[in-house]
Amino acid sequence: MKRDEDFREEIESHVEMRAELNRAAGIPEDQARESARRQFGNATAIREEMRRVHVNTFVESLIQDLHYAARGFLRQPLFTLTAIFAAALGIGSTTAVFSVVDRILFRSLPFAQDDRLVSVGMMAPLDSNEFLLPDAYFDWRKHQTPFQSITSLVAGVADCDLTQTNPLRLGCAQVESNFLATLGVSPVAGRSFSAQEDVPNGPRVALLAYGVWQSRFGGDPNMPGKLVLIDGQPVTILGVLPSNFEMPTLAHADLLFPEALDETRDRAGRVLRVFARLKPGVTMEQARARMQPLFEQALQYVPRQFRKEVHLRMRSLRDRQVQDARTASWVLLGAVGAVLLIACANIANLLLARAFNRRKEMAVRAALGAARGRLIRQTLTETLLLGVLGGLAGCALAWVLLRMFVGLAPEGIPRLEQAALDARVMLFALAGSIASGLLFGIAPAFQNPKGESLHTSRTAGARRGQLREWLCAAQIAISLVLLSSAGTLLRSLWKIESVPLGLEAEHVITAEFVLSRQGYSEEGRQIRFFDSLEARLSKIPGATASIISDSLPPSGSTRGRLLASMQVEGQPPFDKGTGGLIMWRYVTPGYFATLGIPMVRGRAFTEGDRAPGASSMILSQTFAERLFPNGDAIGKRIKTSEWATVVGVAADVKNLGPMLASEPEYYILRRHVPDATSQMQEPPLGWRQAKVAIRTSVNPKVMAGWIQREFAALDPALPVSIGSMQRRVGRLVDRPRFNALLLTLFAGMGVLLAAVGLYGVMAFLVGQRTQEIGVRMALGATPGVITKLVLSRAAGWTLAGMLVGLVGSLFATRAIQSMLFDVSARDPWTFMVVLPVLLLIALSAASIPMLRAARVDPMTALRHE
Amino acid sequence: MVELQGTLVLLILKTLARGPNHGFGIALHIQGASDGLLRVEEGSLYPALHRLERDKLVKAEWRVTGNKRRARYYKLTPAGRKVLAKAEDSWESMTKGVGRVMRFA
Repeated sequence: MKRDEDFREEIESHVEMRAELNRAAGIPEDQARESARRQFGNATAIREEMRRVHVNTFVESLIQDLHYAARGFLRQPLFTLTAIFAAALGIGSTTAVFSVVDRILFRSLPFAQDDRLVSVGMMAPLDSNEFLLPDAYFDWRKHQTPFQSITSLVAGVADCDLTQTNPLRLGCAQVESNFLATLGVSPVAGRSFSAQEDVPNGPRVALLAYGVWQSRFGGDPNMPGKLVLIDGQPVTILGVLPSNFEMPTLAHADLLFPEALDETRDRAGRVLRVFARLKPGVTMEQARARMQPLFEQALQYVPRQFRKEVHLRMRSLRDRQVQDARTASWVLLGAVGAVLLIACANIANLLLARAFNRRKEMAVRAALGAARGRLIRQTLTETLLLGVLGGLAGCALAWVLLRMFVGLAPEGIPRLEQAALDARVMLFALAGSIASGLLFGIAPAFQNPKGESLHTSRTAGARRGQLREWLCAAQIAISLVLLSSAGTLLRSLWKIESVPLGLEAEHVITAEFVLSRQGYSEEGRQIRFFDSLEARLSKIPGATASIISDSLPPSGSTRGRLLASMQVEGQPPFDKGTGGLIMWRYVTPGYFATLGIPMVRGRAFTEGDRAPGASSMILSQTFAERLFPNGDAIGKRIKTSEWATVVGVAADVKNLGPMLASEPEYYILRRHVPDATSQMQEPPLGWRQAKVAIRTSVNPKVMAGWIQREFAALDPALPVSIGSMQRRVGRLVDRPRFNALLLTLFAGMGVLLAAVGLYGVMAFLVGQRTQEIGVRMALGATPGVITKLVLSRAAGWTLAGMLVGLVGSLFATRAIQSMLFDVSARDPWTFMVVLPVLLLIALSAASIPMLRAARVDPMTALRHE
Repeated sequence: MVELQGTLVLLILKTLARGPNHGFGIALHIQGASDGLLRVEEGSLYPALHRLERDKLVKAEWRVTGNKRRARYYKLTPAGRKVLAKAEDSWESMTKGVGRVMRFA
């Protein structure tokens, strides 16, 4: 260390000078030095002392402060525990929520300069995301100007099988050759495929995801160039994707194949997702404006009746991934921020009360010469120590809360599975701890005695008392904002859950499966499989009814057909636009009985409808009323893929969830022979994907085992996932339930903290005024008068806080309006419940010290000081 | 307000008021000026110098002496000058006071 070197040299120079003096006095050379050294004394000890002079300034006094703070905290365990508990609640919940929303709102995506990446395409009613058909994409790719690079992938990830010794189901995606380059991703091993390999009938090559590379191939460094069998076909692995790679669509993909678009033939048929990187300096608005003419040209490829319903959509990649989670994320972050604020106000109050009790001690220290700055530092050290201790406890709480979020969370919260308390989140927690330590430390620190004298003045606390009351009022205000937001969401949830879905979900067990491409590519095999499955299911003991369908309600992922492509006997062809997409399902006869969907008119399907030559269909009520406003649907013939006769009208089912209106829907009967529907195999899964529903009163676990056994008897290698209808239905309201639950949790924390704070301040005030109360009682005041005296004060700031909170609530509920269903942002019912509840909680918190005040014994009180 | 630890600090500051000097020079000057009555211990001198440096009453820098030897020179800062003035005042009144008491007794 440089300073040590200095000390040594300084001493050396001193000794040398003395030696010189000695030499000048005639002392022989060797003795001159020796005597100089002896005269200096213990050089090591002196050097040590010099070092201490410089060291003990900052670190030592910090240690001293910490030691002092810790001793003070240990002496008041109740105060310390309350403060740490409050800090832990605030910091813990903030950290937990941050760890989730950070991935959604802030953390950069695993792509180079991710804020320059956009998703672009056409927006049509068919799809909730923008897409492009190849013909339009070819034009855009050639003529676009705002992008540095534009790339595409085929929408959806198909199931594919790694057919080697140990078969494994994988997700296979198809991407353009410049896909990785556009995203700014390079393979960790090998290379991406080139444009020459991304051509129709090109070489069978693919990129492998890191996860499979590790788990299946042991991270083999020689993987690039190796052959693997995918669906029985040899494929060369060209490269391995980085471990943090993810599809821009967030779909799970294990293998990336070349898209192999054919400019001459692939004009339509495949749906593409298009992503692009903006040129430097080009803003999103400019890019959108420049793409608009290309979009208008591309409309020529869109069927005429569609055009009005299609528009251009361009949004940042983050927006596309986050979808509608943004508002909820900000709301949750705001809620925990509010909890943290309440906690800080709470601790500030505790500290103020403590400082009041320590004012004598501080005054003594100031009188003994401690500088004001030193005392402020001492107080800030104490609060920072509290903040950090609270932060540590908060991290433990955050861990528990995060586990809880992940367990409760609905599907579709982006990146939730990645949320973890990693270094970045811990850094946030630390920053939060220090910031809140400073925040709740400011008030007590700067209220240190300046001119305050040693004598105990009973009025000295008055000014600080007011600050305390304001802090209390603020806590109540923030609690009210939290409570009313949570209340509005709860009421919205209640409204959502009371909407009838149009089916009876209880006692229905479901099973889902996808037949492998290899074994069931041929139509005859599929029909044979479904026939034997149907026969086996009908023989399961305890199954009242069972069906096979291509899809089950409630779900948006059904097949759809444009109304304009249908034909109704005796009506002119539909010519106003597309008429929208009509959902339909391909079902066996017991469908309506199994799911408990009532028939409104006509009858359900029967076995007789499956006879060769017969062809029948059933309409949903909404659809029937749309096609036949006069209510005469039964017996009418409609052409979808083939002509069929309407035999019944079924009640509407809320397929898209209780928040949305029922969409029109129709049902086509599965038959035992190949028909026009079964021949219309649609990529990517065709009819290989199917679902089974069974109505039963048998224990679901037992029934699940029986169902598994039937499937195993038919195809032992077929993976089947068993679920319950109730779970499927419940999933529809998972998101609103999750949001309402979390907000209620945080509101509860906020109110609890505010109540504790209120209690603390009241207890302090009463304690402070014990003598005054004693005098009043000695002079004849009744306990009632005393109660009123104390209560009027508490009620004053509670009401002030509630007033401010009410205004804040109106803003807050407006902010969450988009999350509400059938409830106004100024829902009177919510406020009618929330306001009295909060008032009641506040007054009960205040009443405990109040009752103590009323029971004060005048004699004890007068002897108090 | 920096407390003066004993009279050593006062002696050091006073010596430095004549101009920058190194530790050995300060010790020599105090001994010489007091006609050998006061002898400064190196063990107290250097820690005291460094304490003064830490409290920014003196500034230190390496310089070359007349004998072409490197030595650490100390110099009064404006703050040090102020403290010295105050300390001289209180020293004077104290010695006066103490003297009177001693005479009175």
